[in-house]
Amino acid sequence: MFEETVEHRLRPIAAAFAESDLVRIRVADETTEIELRRSGTMMRKAAAAVAEGEDPAPPLETIASEVVGIVRLARPPVSEGDPVDPDRELAYIEALGIRNPVRPRSPGRIARIYVSDGQPVDYGRPLFALEPV
Amino acid sequence: MFKKILIANRGEIALRVNRAAHELGIPTVAIFSEADRGSLHVRHADEAYCVGPAPAARSYLNVANIISAALISGADAIHPGYGFLAENARFAEICIDHGLTFIGPSPEIIAAMGDKAEARRRMAEANVPTTPGSPIVRSLDEAGAAAQRIGYPVLLKATAGGGGKGMRVVEREDDLPAAFATAQAEAEANFRDGRLYLERLVRNPRHIEVQVLGDHFGTIVHLGERDCSIQKPSHQKLIEEAPAPELPEGVRERLHATALAAARAVGYTNAGTLEFLVSGTDIYFMEMNTRIQVEHPVTELVYGVDLVKEQIRIAAGEPLGFGQEDVVPHGYAIECRINAEDPAKGFAPSAGTLTSLDLPGGPGVRVDTHVVAGSVIPPYYDSLLAKIVAVGRTRLNAIARMERALSETRIEGVPTTLELCRDIIRSRPFRDGGVDVEFLSHRFIEEWVAA
Repeated sequence: MFEETVEHRLRPIAAAFAESDLVRIRVADETTEIELRRSGTMMRKAAAAVAEGEDPAPPLETIASEVVGIVRLARPPVSEGDPVDPDRELAYIEALGIRNPVRPRSPGRIARIYVSDGQPVDYGRPLFALEPV
Repeated sequence: MFKKILIANRGEIALRVNRAAHELGIPTVAIFSEADRGSLHVRHADEAYCVGPAPAARSYLNVANIISAALISGADAIHPGYGFLAENARFAEICIDHGLTFIGPSPEIIAAMGDKAEARRRMAEANVPTTPGSPIVRSLDEAGAAAQRIGYPVLLKATAGGGGKGMRVVEREDDLPAAFATAQAEAEANFRDGRLYLERLVRNPRHIEVQVLGDHFGTIVHLGERDCSIQKPSHQKLIEEAPAPELPEGVRERLHATALAAARAVGYTNAGTLEFLVSGTDIYFMEMNTRIQVEHPVTELVYGVDLVKEQIRIAAGEPLGFGQEDVVPHGYAIECRINAEDPAKGFAPSAGTLTSLDLPGGPGVRVDTHVVAGSVIPPYYDSLLAKIVAVGRTRLNAIARMERALSETRIEGVPTTLELCRDIIRSRPFRDGGVDVEFLSHRFIEEWVAA
């Protein structure tokens, strides 16, 4: 239960939070409450990096579901760290018996896999995070 | 009974259906757009699926995602609420094709009643009085000949129409060509169906509608009438009440009997409303709405019947637990629609954040709303914020309660219809009862805006 919460709830929220300029985020429903705060160190580091003209780490590109359906991961499945091209089908979302393929928009490296095979997803649900190359 | 119901709607009606399902012990599934992620209808449901981005065409009208959410969640029925997919016969058919019960009448009835010309034809067959009119007119020449036969002034109407779109009043023959062209273009643009027909214009009518309920065992009852004559210039209702005040002798009984005959003639099932124009002692069938209506609470308060629960029970194949003699009206009920729109600016819808919200309560007051203080009102959807309903032993009791309830209400952040409703409720013509559809749209609003 806890692991599932971390995998399916916390990770996507943390990823979105990391990409954002927000200082604090709180997400709650009946079963879970997730609150994230940016630490003083992180903020100082980011500020220092900007001040010194260093490029901060490139933002991750989120690949989200565009339909409501069931995730079917590609076989063999991709792993975190794998380089992928836009023609590579990472998974498909099965909806009303139709396969809706999920592909990266641009070449990159799989940074995160947010979903597991057979998991129901709704519109906008993060499926993968891609580190652009 | 159903195992789980998906509610294919948003706003107050999604909450209304959720309440009915929960009271029947049925778990619910909400759908929402990205603009409604934090909405109350999502929080009240047992589970929720995002079905698309903010624009309704890609979310609340996204049939594939809605059906997929129902199948994934294990729902066995879909309640469409009102608006969106509620009167879409094709959607009802798709539900059935996927083994889901559509909580409403059959696709055939929805299609027949949704086609205005077909509905009028069926009603005429059942001896239900309709305004003198024509079948579909295919050309300006046909329209001209039909108008001569009916007699001016006439109303040009789109057969696929609704909400006053594709509708034109034609006072005299000279005005027909221009009116025909604009009505056809408007109907084509709004409904992708430019077919028009004509009706004789009934001047200064009242809009009175009758609620019916029919089960799958042939029992059909009516639950009295609602007077919805207080309408905006766009013909949208603003204040409704039940029963209709100041009706001439015998008209109420004729409305009820005619509605029942009409519903029986089409073999109607589930909840439906037959709308009539009433002029003096004349009544004319206008159209039938094959869904729950916004203004259903006034009927519920007067008759003590939960219409949404009855819809669910009927769809699940249960017989109506009562007959006509068991439903007796008690007292009067009035509903005010508090919309996020500016009556001083042609009822322009407004979006924004509700910075402050005080809702009324106390004896005899019901509030159906999906908003709380801090709610963001997105610009994408219907502007209804809350329905404030007051019930009393007499009509004057109900009016006094409504005045009290509206004076307790405070909404800040967006312009609303609250003050306009309060001023209408306080006005002499409303208190006297029996105003016609021109009262607000042509007379009261102009003076109110000027003042």
